[in-house]
Amino acid sequence: MKKLICIILTLCTLFLLTACSSKQPEESPAAGFKPSLSKDTSCKITVAGSYDNFEALEAEFDKFNEIYPNVRLSYVKLDDYNNVLGTVLEGNDKPNIFFSYTWMTVNEQYHSVFEQMEDLSDSALKLNLDCIRPGLLNRDAQGHVRMVPVFSRTYGMLVNKALFEKEGLSVPTTQSELMAVCEAFRSKGYASPMMGYSLKSSGCFMNTIAYPLFVATLAKNPEALTLANNLDPAAGEYMRPALEAVEKLVGQGCIDIGECDKIEDNYTKVILRFFEGDVPMMICTGDTVSGTKKRESQSEAFTKSPFEYAFTPIALTEEGGYFIDSPSVQFSVNKSCDNLEMTNEFMRFLITNEELNKMASVKRLVTPTKDLSFDSVYAPFGQVPSERTMSPEVLGIKDPISVQIRNAAFQVGKGEITVDEAVKRYGTFE
Amino acid sequence: MKKSWVIPVNVVIMTAMLIFVVLYSRYESRITTERQIEHFENTAITMEHVTENYLEGEQRICDVWARYINSRGMTIEEAIDFIRVSHVLQKASVHIVYLDTLSGLSTRPRHNAPDDYTVSYERMDILNDVRWIHEIGEAINISRAYTNPVNGEQSISFCNSIMVHDSQTGKPCKAVLLRVLPLSELEQKWVFPQEEFKNAELSIIDADGYYIIKGHSFKNSSFFEFYRSYNETGPGSPQEIFTNITTSTGSMTMFNSRGEKCILAFTPVTAAGGWSLLSLMPMKDLNVKSENWLLIGFVSAGLLILFVFDLAVMLYFNKRLQAAAVEAEAANRAKTDFLSTMSHDIRTPMNAIIGLTTIAEKNLGDVESVGDNLRKITMASNHLLTLINDILDISKVESGKLNLSPLTFSIVETVENLVNLSQPMVKEKNIEFNFRISRIDKEYLYADQLRLNQVYINILSNAIKYTEPGGRVSVDMREEESKKPGCVRLTYVVSDTGIGMSPEFMATMYQPFSRQTDSRVNSIQGTGLGLAITKQMVDLMDGTIDCQSEQGKGTTFTVILDLPIADRQREDMTLEPMDVLVVDDDEILLQTAVDTLESLGVTADRAGSGRAALDMIKRRHDSGKDYRVVILDWKMPDLDGIETIRRIRAEAGSGTAILLVSAYDWSDIEDKAKEAGANGFVGKPLFRSKLYDKINSILGPEIKSVEPENDYSDLQGLKILIAEDNDINWEIISAMLGMFGITAERAENGRICVEKMKQAEKGDYTLIFMDIQMPEMNGLEATRNIRQLEDPWASSIPIIAMTADAFSENVTECMNAGMNGHIAKPIDIKLVIKEIRRIKENEKS
Repeated sequence: MKKLICIILTLCTLFLLTACSSKQPEESPAAGFKPSLSKDTSCKITVAGSYDNFEALEAEFDKFNEIYPNVRLSYVKLDDYNNVLGTVLEGNDKPNIFFSYTWMTVNEQYHSVFEQMEDLSDSALKLNLDCIRPGLLNRDAQGHVRMVPVFSRTYGMLVNKALFEKEGLSVPTTQSELMAVCEAFRSKGYASPMMGYSLKSSGCFMNTIAYPLFVATLAKNPEALTLANNLDPAAGEYMRPALEAVEKLVGQGCIDIGECDKIEDNYTKVILRFFEGDVPMMICTGDTVSGTKKRESQSEAFTKSPFEYAFTPIALTEEGGYFIDSPSVQFSVNKSCDNLEMTNEFMRFLITNEELNKMASVKRLVTPTKDLSFDSVYAPFGQVPSERTMSPEVLGIKDPISVQIRNAAFQVGKGEITVDEAVKRYGTFE
Repeated sequence: MKKSWVIPVNVVIMTAMLIFVVLYSRYESRITTERQIEHFENTAITMEHVTENYLEGEQRICDVWARYINSRGMTIEEAIDFIRVSHVLQKASVHIVYLDTLSGLSTRPRHNAPDDYTVSYERMDILNDVRWIHEIGEAINISRAYTNPVNGEQSISFCNSIMVHDSQTGKPCKAVLLRVLPLSELEQKWVFPQEEFKNAELSIIDADGYYIIKGHSFKNSSFFEFYRSYNETGPGSPQEIFTNITTSTGSMTMFNSRGEKCILAFTPVTAAGGWSLLSLMPMKDLNVKSENWLLIGFVSAGLLILFVFDLAVMLYFNKRLQAAAVEAEAANRAKTDFLSTMSHDIRTPMNAIIGLTTIAEKNLGDVESVGDNLRKITMASNHLLTLINDILDISKVESGKLNLSPLTFSIVETVENLVNLSQPMVKEKNIEFNFRISRIDKEYLYADQLRLNQVYINILSNAIKYTEPGGRVSVDMREEESKKPGCVRLTYVVSDTGIGMSPEFMATMYQPFSRQTDSRVNSIQGTGLGLAITKQMVDLMDGTIDCQSEQGKGTTFTVILDLPIADRQREDMTLEPMDVLVVDDDEILLQTAVDTLESLGVTADRAGSGRAALDMIKRRHDSGKDYRVVILDWKMPDLDGIETIRRIRAEAGSGTAILLVSAYDWSDIEDKAKEAGANGFVGKPLFRSKLYDKINSILGPEIKSVEPENDYSDLQGLKILIAEDNDINWEIISAMLGMFGITAERAENGRICVEKMKQAEKGDYTLIFMDIQMPEMNGLEATRNIRQLEDPWASSIPIIAMTADAFSENVTECMNAGMNGHIAKPIDIKLVIKEIRRIKENEKS
C-alpha cells in the first residue's frame, strides 16, 4: 500500500513537472504538401490586389512560412487597381501574384496584363486544378488557364434561422413558400420581412434578385444571349421575369424600400442591420456575407443575443432558387516576376481543397472547390441541383449585361420606372 | 509522526518549493519583461525622434522647392524642370498635380512611354480632400502609402500646396507638389536600431488607424482592423485602446496574425498631428523566460533526485534498522541462551566439585576413595577454569577489546609446552601422536605467546578430544619464508583421524557456542567457544585458518601466521664432528632429524627400525668406529626403543651415548629405559637447539645418567616473600610451597611487602610472589616502589606476579611495572616450580 502511495505521489510530482513544459503546436503545416525547394530559400513574394484587407491570405502566408521560414510574403493593396495594374506589372515593384478578373479577358486595356500571366495549367507546375469546380475555371482558346479562382461569388439571402424557429416557420424553398413566409412575418409585425441595400444601384438588392433570374432566362434561350451581349434592345424582353420578381416582392410588401434605404452601405451596414436580429431575410451577395464573421463581435445586438444564420438561394421559382456560380477573386502569376519558382511553389501550396476551403472559411466567401459543406453558412448552396447551378462565364454572359440588368432592376425596384419601360430601355442603361 | 506521512510530506514540501520557484521565476520574469518593455518603449520613442527628424528633413526639402516655385511664378513645366535639376535621389520622383483636374506632370516618365511625363491622381483618393496639407513650413504633410500612378511602386509623398501659372494664360492655378519616395527605399533605412530588437517592426498610422507606413507584420489596411481581426474584442471596447494608442506613449500586448503574443509600443509622432509610431515585436523575442525555465527544470530535477535519493537512503536505513532489530533480538536471545548454557556448563563441574567434596568429607578415613574424589575434583576444577577463561576471552573478543601483547618468546618452548599439555590426554586415550617439525631456524619470535599458545592448544586439544582411542593425531610445524619483511611464516597443521565434522556444522563452527550435535560428541566436555576464540585470535594476528574435514574420517586444521623474528637468537650452534645414528620408523621424522643433525655439523646415519639400527651399530663396533650418539625412537614396531637399547648395550657396550626419543610422557618408561642403558631423553619434536643442548649435555666429561625428574632438592631452603591479602590463597600457596621444602613469608598487602623489603637483609628472600589487587597498595605500585629501593639487592629481587588478572595486557602491565614473570591464578604448582627454577637459573647465569 505504501509503495502504491509512493508511486502515485511520484507520478503526480512528475505530472506537475510536465505542466512546466511548453505547449505543443496545435496544428502542423499543410500535412499533404511536400516541399519541392530548399526550405532555407530566402526570397520575397508579393501578392497585389484590390482588397483593403486579406487576412485569409495572410493566414496562408503564415502557414507557408512554417515550411519556408525565410520567404517573406506580403499582400499589397494597389490604389485604383484596375487602372494601375498594367503599370505595376511593368514597373520596378512587380508583384509575383495579382488579382485578375474574367472581364479582363475581353478588355483590350488588359492585353499587356494577359501577356504577363503564366499558364497555370502547365503540368510542370503540378497545380491541383481538379479541386476547382469546372464552371469556375476559365480556359482560353489554347486551353491555357491564366487565372485560378480563389473565391466565388453568388447571390442569395442571409436567413435568421432563430427568427424562423421562433415564429414557427420554415425557410422557403419555392416562390409560393417565400410569399407565404413573408405574409406570415408581416402578420407577426415584421414591417419588412426581406431587406437589402437600396441606396445605389451598385450592390443593390434588386440586382441580387434579378440577376440570377435573368441568367437563368438567358440560359434557357441561347438565341437571346447574343442579343443580350450585343445590348440589342430586343433582348430586353428576357429581363421581364427578373424585373417582375423584383416588382412583386416590393409590391406585395415583402420588402419595405423605406426601411432598406436606411441602410447606408452595401457591406458593413447591411451586416450590422441583419445582426440587429429583427430581419428574417437579408438579400445580399456572397461578398457581403464574407464580412459577417468579423462583425459578429462588432454588433452589440448580436453579441447580446447571438443567433444562427445561413446564406441560401432566394426561392424565386416554384422549383427553387438558382446558384449563380461565378469567380469572385482569381489569382494570376506574373511570369516575369522575381522568384518565379517559389511563387509557383506557393501557388501549388495554395491551390488545394484544404487551403482554399480554409481561406474561404476565414474570409467567409464561397469556396471555389467542389466541397461546399464545410461552412454551414454556405451549405444550402451545396444542395442546389446542377440544373439550377449556372456559371455566367461558361454561358458566355459578358459584363455589359450585368450593367443593364442591375440598373433596370434598381430603377424598377425603386419605382422609378415600370417593368415595361425597363424592358424597352435594354442596352441604354449606364 | 506516522511513518507513512514521510512521503506525502516530502511531496508537499517539494511541490511547495517548486511553486515558490515557479512564482519567483515568474516574478523575476515579469520584472525583466517590464524592464525590457520599458527599454522597448524608450527605443520606440527614440525611433520617433529619428523618424520625426527624417520626416522634417524631407519635408523641408519639399518646403524649399515650394517656396521657390511660388516665389518665381513658374509654370508647371518650369517647376518640373527646376525640380528635375535639383532632385538627386535615384528612385524618388516629384509630381505636380493641378488640384482642379488632379492631373499634372512627373519628373520621371512612365516605363512603357519614355516621353510621357503626365500623371493623374483622379482615381486616387489621397488628393480628393487636401485639408491635411498645411501651409508651407507649418507641418509635415505626408500622404499615406499609395500606388505611384506613374510607375506602380508603393510610395509615400511629402506634399505642399503651390501655385503654378498657366503657360498660356499666365493665370495662377492651385496645385500640389508631391515629393514621392518608394517605400522599398524607406524600409531599408527605417529599421529598429537595437540588435536585441531585430525582429521588431515599425509602422506609422494616422488618427483613423490607417497605415502611413506599414511594417511587414502589420496586417490589413488599418491597424485597428488588424487589431480587431486577431484579438478578442467586444463591441466598442477597442475604441478606448485605439484612442490610447493614438494619443499617448506606452505599450500593450496583442496577438499578431500568427497568434503570437506581441508587445506593441506606441508613441505619437509630434511633428505630424494625429499620427502615431507603432513598434511591434513578439514577446518571445524579449528573451526573458528561458533562464527561468532552466532554473525551474534544474530545481525540479534536483528535488526529484533528492527525493528519490532520500527515499532510497530511507529504505536502505529502514532495512538496516530492521536487520539491526533482528540482530538485537537474536543477540538478546543469544544472551539468554548464553546465560542458560553458562548456567548449565558452570553448574555441571560445580556440581561435581561440591558433590565430590561432600563425598570426600564423609569418607575421610578411606584414603583411596578420597584420592579418587580429589582427582575428579581437580578435573572438574580444570574444566571450570577452562570454561571461565574461554568465556572471558570470547567476551573480550566480542567487545573488540582483545589486544595482542607481543613479547619475545621461544617457539621451542611453546612446542614443548604444547607437547607436554597434550601428553596426559594422548596417554589417556592411547592415541598415536606425532609432532613433526621442519626447518625451524628461528627459535625466538616476537608475538603474543599466550594467544599463540591458545590457538595451537585449542586446535590440538580438539583433535585429541575428538579422536577415538587408538586413532592418530599428527602435528606438522614448518617455518617458511614470509612475504612480510622481518617475519617468518609459521605453518601449523594438525590432522586427526577423529569423528570429523559435517559441512553444515563447518559453516557455523567459528560462531560462539557451536558444538556439533552428535551422540559421539555429547559425551565430550567442551564450551563451544574454542574455535570462535581461535578464529578471532588468528584474524587478530593477520593469519589464516583453514579446515578440511570429512565425517568419520578426520579433520585437518591449518593455521598460517607471519610472525616477526625477535632480535635475540641463539648464537651459532655447531657440534664437534662425530657420527650419529638416528633410528625411527617414521621416514619424515627420520629425514628431519638427519637434516637437523647435519646442520649442527655432525654426520648422521639413519635406520628405519631397531633391527636395522642394531646391525649398523654392530658393524661399526666391529670396525672400531662406534657411533658417538644414537638417537632412538621409543615406539617402533617389531623392536621397540627400550629393547633396542638393551641389545645395543649387550652387543656394543656402553661406549655409545643413547638418547631415547618419544612424543609421549616417559615417566612410565623412565625406570625401564634407565635400566636398559639410556643416557637421556629427548621429547619430540626434535628442535635443533634441543638436540644441540641434549647432545652437549650427555657428552660431558663423562656420560651422565638420566637426571631424576622428581628431584626437588635444589629448592630446599628457599625463602619466598608472598604478598597476598586473601587468607585462603595464602594458605594454599604457602602449603604448596611447603611441600617442596620452600619457606614462605606473608605480606598482607603491597605496602607491608615494601616495608618488609626495606627491612630485609641481602639473601633474606629468593624472590617475591606478588598479588596485584590488594588493599592499601596494589602489587604494581609495590613493585615500582621496590624497584626504587636504595639497596641494590632489594631493588633487583625477582618479583613474580601471582594474580587472577590473567589477560595478556595484564601480563604486559606487570612486566612494565618491573616484574620478572607472571603466574595466573588458580595456580598450577608445576608452573610455579618451573618459574622458581627459571629464576634460579637466571641468577646463576
